[in-house]
Amino acid sequence: MKIVAAIKVVPNDEAISVAGDRTLDYSKAAQQISIYDLNAIEAAAQLAAANGGSAVAISASGSKAGDAKMKKGILSRGLDELFMIADDAMVTADSLTTAKALAKLVQDNAADYDVIIAGDGSADVYAGAVSVQLAAVLGVPVVNNVTKIEVNGSVATVERTLDTEVQTLEVPLPAVLAVSPEIAEPRIAGMKDILAAGKKPATITDAAAAGAETAGVVAVEEIKAPVPAPRKCEIYGADDVAKFAEALAAAIR
Amino acid sequence: MAKALVLAESVDAQRALAAGARTVADEVALVVVAGAPETGVADKAYDIQLPAGEAAENAYETVKSVFDQVAPEVVFFEPTASLKVIAGKLAAAAGSAIVANITALEGNVATNAYFGGLAEKKQVASGVAFYSNTGALFAEAAASGTDEVEAVAFVEPAQKIVLKGSNPVVLEGADLTKSDVIVGVGRGFAEQDQLKLAEDLAAKVGGDCGCSRPVAENLGWMPRNLYIGVSGVEAAPKAYIAAGISGQMQHMVGVKNAGTIFAINKDANAPIFKQCDYGIVGDVTAIIPEIIAAL
Repeated sequence: MKIVAAIKVVPNDEAISVAGDRTLDYSKAAQQISIYDLNAIEAAAQLAAANGGSAVAISASGSKAGDAKMKKGILSRGLDELFMIADDAMVTADSLTTAKALAKLVQDNAADYDVIIAGDGSADVYAGAVSVQLAAVLGVPVVNNVTKIEVNGSVATVERTLDTEVQTLEVPLPAVLAVSPEIAEPRIAGMKDILAAGKKPATITDAAAAGAETAGVVAVEEIKAPVPAPRKCEIYGADDVAKFAEALAAAIR
Repeated sequence: MAKALVLAESVDAQRALAAGARTVADEVALVVVAGAPETGVADKAYDIQLPAGEAAENAYETVKSVFDQVAPEVVFFEPTASLKVIAGKLAAAAGSAIVANITALEGNVATNAYFGGLAEKKQVASGVAFYSNTGALFAEAAASGTDEVEAVAFVEPAQKIVLKGSNPVVLEGADLTKSDVIVGVGRGFAEQDQLKLAEDLAAKVGGDCGCSRPVAENLGWMPRNLYIGVSGVEAAPKAYIAAGISGQMQHMVGVKNAGTIFAINKDANAPIFKQCDYGIVGDVTAIIPEIIAAL
C-alpha cells in the first residue's frame, strides 16, 4: 500500500514583517511545513504503518524550501521519501497550476499510490482548492474535511466532520483525502529520527526539471498588508492587575 | 452579455451571491444541489434532483451538464465542503483555478486574504473566473430575478462516493458572532481543568468563551464551533480577552473587528502584545483570579 502526503512549505508567518510600503518582508521568516500539513503527514505515516505500506511526501513550494534542513524536517516525521519542486514560481502559483505540478510528481514518482493525503488548507491561502483540483487532474475521487481513515482493500471508509454532521463515507481507491487537523496529532521528531531522515532519498528540482508548467491562469497583481486598526498596546506587568482590570471594566460597561 | 453561475446551499448565500453575480453579469443562473432553489434571485434556477441518501459530491456530473449549457464567464460559489469539491472539479475541467474567500471584487480584480489576513492579495483570473464567498461580501446587494426553475435529473457518476451514515454534531457553547465579550482560550492554559478560570472570567464580564484552533482541534478541550480565526469563527465583540493566546495571524484575523482587545500572556515577547489595546504579562492561572477579584 502506498500513501502520498501532499504538503506545502511556507515562511513562518509569525516572523513575516510588514515593510514601509506595506509589502511583506520575509527576510527573517524561516521556512516551515504549513501548519495543518503536519497533521496530514502524521495521518499518512500512521496509515502506512497500519496497513504495512510506505508513505512518501510531495511538495510544490518556493526555492528556499529545497534545503537539507527542510528535507530532514519532512522525512523525520515517519515518511520514506521526498519528491519536491522547489521553485519560486510555486510560491503564489494558483490552485490549478499547483495541482498540476503535484500531479506530475505523483505520476512520475508514485503512480502506484492508493491514497493521497493533503491538509485542509495551506497557511498562506487557506482555500482547500489544491487537493480537489489535484484529484480532478488525476481523475480520482476526493473527500475533504476528513477526520478518520480506515482502508479495507480497494475502499477507504472515512469520517468527514462538517459544521452540523459527521458523515461516514466509502471512497473507492485510489483517492485524494483532505484531512482536518484533528485527524492526528503531529509527532515531535527525535534526534535519531532527524539523523535517519538525512539518509532517506529525496529528489528536489526546479519546476522545469520536474516537467511542471508555471505559467498559471490567475495573475497576482499585488500583495500588500492592509492598514491595521490602530491598537493602543498598553502593556502592564503582573503587579499592575488593577490598571488592566480598570480598562477592562470600562470596555464592557 | 456576461453570464454568471451561482452555486450555493444556504438560502442567505443563494440570495447574496446571486445579487453579487448581478453586479458583474447580465444573466445569472442559480444551481442548487441539496434543497430547493430560491426564486426571484436569478434569471433561471436549476434544481438538481439529488436522490435521498446521495452524497452531494456525486452531483458533479449533473452540475457540469448545467455549467456546459449555461457557459458562464464567472462562477460564484458558497465555500461549503461539498461545493468546494464540485466547484474545484468544474474549474479544473474548465482550465481554471479557484480564487477563494474573496473580500472585494472590482471589475475583474478580486481580493482575498494572504497568510490569514496579514496581507491582501489582488489578482485577475483568466478564462472562467471561479470565486468563493459566504455571501457576506454581497449582503447589501439587491437580488432580482424570475420564478423559473428547471428540475435537472441526476446523472449517475462514474466514481461514486457512498454515504453510509450521518450523525449530527451537537453544537455546544455560544454563538460567538452574537457575543458582546469573548474570552479566548489559548495554549497558555496547561491543563484542561484550568479552563474553569476562563469560564469564571467570562461569567464575571457577561461574556462567552472561545478558543484558538489547537485548543479545539488538537487538544479537544473545547468544541470545534468555538474556535476563532481562519476557517473558524469571525467575531466582532465589544471586548476580546485573549488569555494565553500567542497572537498568531490565523487566530487574530478572527477578532480584527473587536472593539477593544485585551491580552494576558506570560511571554512578554508574544506577538499578541503588538496587536492588543491592553496587555498584561503573567501566567493566566495567576492573573485571571486577580482580575476577577479586581472587577
